[in-house]
Amino acid sequence: MKPRTIKALLKKDMALFIGNRFYLFITILGLVVYALVYFIMPSELDERLSLAMYAPVVPPAFEQLAVGGIDVEYFESEDSLRDSVISGEFDVGVALPPDIMDIWAEGGKPGITVFYASTAAPEITETTTLLIKELSYLQTGQALHFDAKTEILGPDLLGEQITLRDRMRPMLVILILLTEIMTLAGLIAAEIQKGTARALLVTPMRTSDLFLAKGILGVGMAMAQAALFMAIVGGFGYQPLIILTTLFVGSIFVVGTGFLIASIVRDVNAVTGWGLLVLILFAIPGIGAVIPGLLAEWAKVIPSYYLVDTINKVANYGVGWAGIASNLGIMSGITLIIVIGGLLALRRRFQ
Amino acid sequence: MNLKRVWTLIRAEILHGPKDVVLAMAVVMPILMALLVNLAFGNIFTQRAELGIYDRGESAIVEILAKSESVSLRYYENETDLKQAAAAGAVDMGIVLPQDFDASLPFGKIKFEAYVWGESLAKNREVIPIVLTDAVRTLTGSELPVNIEAVALGDEESVPWSSRLVPLVILMGIFYGGLMIPSSAIIHEKQRRTIEALNVTPTTVGDIFLSKGIISVTLATFMGIVTLILSGALSGPIPLIILVLFLGAIMATEIGLIVGAFVNDINSLFAVLKAGGIFLFGPALIYMFPQIPSWVGYIFPTYYVVRPIVDLSISGVSFSEVLVYLSVLVILVILGAVLLVAVVRRLSTRALRLGS
Repeated sequence: MKPRTIKALLKKDMALFIGNRFYLFITILGLVVYALVYFIMPSELDERLSLAMYAPVVPPAFEQLAVGGIDVEYFESEDSLRDSVISGEFDVGVALPPDIMDIWAEGGKPGITVFYASTAAPEITETTTLLIKELSYLQTGQALHFDAKTEILGPDLLGEQITLRDRMRPMLVILILLTEIMTLAGLIAAEIQKGTARALLVTPMRTSDLFLAKGILGVGMAMAQAALFMAIVGGFGYQPLIILTTLFVGSIFVVGTGFLIASIVRDVNAVTGWGLLVLILFAIPGIGAVIPGLLAEWAKVIPSYYLVDTINKVANYGVGWAGIASNLGIMSGITLIIVIGGLLALRRRFQ
Repeated sequence: MNLKRVWTLIRAEILHGPKDVVLAMAVVMPILMALLVNLAFGNIFTQRAELGIYDRGESAIVEILAKSESVSLRYYENETDLKQAAAAGAVDMGIVLPQDFDASLPFGKIKFEAYVWGESLAKNREVIPIVLTDAVRTLTGSELPVNIEAVALGDEESVPWSSRLVPLVILMGIFYGGLMIPSSAIIHEKQRRTIEALNVTPTTVGDIFLSKGIISVTLATFMGIVTLILSGALSGPIPLIILVLFLGAIMATEIGLIVGAFVNDINSLFAVLKAGGIFLFGPALIYMFPQIPSWVGYIFPTYYVVRPIVDLSISGVSFSEVLVYLSVLVILVILGAVLLVAVVRRLSTRALRLGS
């Protein structure tokens, strides 16, 4: 290994990267777009049901609505209630008759109107109707008594749930890392296709120097973009060292995969095809972080699962070293195998 | 421009052009995505609470719960699976019904065990017990103490999530092939210097671009139709929908040809797609996440492809209601054509200079 040679190669690749202003601009723009996707997502969760109500007389049972997970806004008239639904301020509005208590007292059935926006999801309308039914039963002394043994699984995050955009954070950062697979594989494939790699190898430079230089470049590019993204979206709020370590392991993993792809493709065009296939496969665990419970156990065979899970656990749940040690261990082991496999395959390709 | 030469180029491109991974991806990816959306992702974005159930007996309440619009019901074979599902967030709440659940109801005993996912939303924790209570009341035949009238306000219809994902599938169908095929074909020609070779023949740069464009528009339109069929969304005025798909395919091809003209290698093409992908697929995000204000859609050119298709095929609106979007799409296609002609002229002039 010759540090001077590696330094020269790195200098050459960096000069090529920075010299290509278009490529540099697009890389920065890509990062900005990923950050925009994050910031365009709602920063708060719609955790409670919202309900508009016109109730000249509020039956005592209906007052319980505000105690549960329901936000009730009362309106002065039925017309203003209807307007609030038509304007889209509320999906559903409930109008109680002024003599509701009298009708119940006389043993009758009052008429309640549920106004719903035609664009409202059917579940919202049905839930509201069920709610009104149940409150009416309560008000007329027909409450049901459950004998339920309830257990909350996992940390109870009621009121502190993770927003969609924060759930997306591990997926977005993994996508940023994974796209570098194609960049690195493309760079190497281009060198092979143009014959510059072979030309370099007739100099005193050794294959290992070339690989190391490409590896350092790949890790640097992937790591810098991923770390910058995490810094922008507040991903270093908890345990920044763990996040940085995970991104570093992820960047090496990306380099190893890039080497593997570069060793099997015939030309640069094929890098895009193979790269996209690999990217889609490795992005699946990211989708699992956005939609909990989506992935089955088999998803754990996808190496990127351990990266996504670690970032998700640390950035969103504040888990420490002990909680992610096994993930990091597995990921490091997989990375080592992929890097060695990639190096061997690429060396064979060069020879 | 000579149509005979263009046809010769099209034949040559089809018979001897690159049959590489890009072509395979342009065909395979949209189909895979359409199938995935249809089979796996159709129901995951609803606002319904997820209820898991393990029935030790054969309670009739399960059938009642299955008909509920307020919850999505999942069945489990044993308590361990149910508990795991609740712990992983696959369900908001998992309930275990005892063997004698139905038999004990007449005695006023409603007994069960419940596992609640710690991250489930407050509203879901509120909704599930209400749905359960209603199912028990239905089972026991309780008389409702009110008359409830539900009144719909507005003319538009609610669009379920399975339909909201259709825009993504449409865009992938049209733009994967429409953009990737011509851009990579032009880059391929540039890299192999076959464009320069063709320049010494009577063939013009315009002929080359036109031949690649025709292939791309045909493939993209076809893929758009295939993905719509696979998504079960090809309904309504089909000729009009195909016209919109065709215009969308032209737009995608114009972008692909312009990108191909300026980009010299696949790496740079990929970089353009990496950064520009959001501008192409942005409208799909707007349909997926209603929290994003709908006006954001108007800034994306591809919105004017997606909106008329969704309106015509899913919302069932008339031609006059999509005319504005269709007009904008036609204007965008014309603008793209003007820009493309300018680019081709510039390339032709450069080629002439190089030739002399």
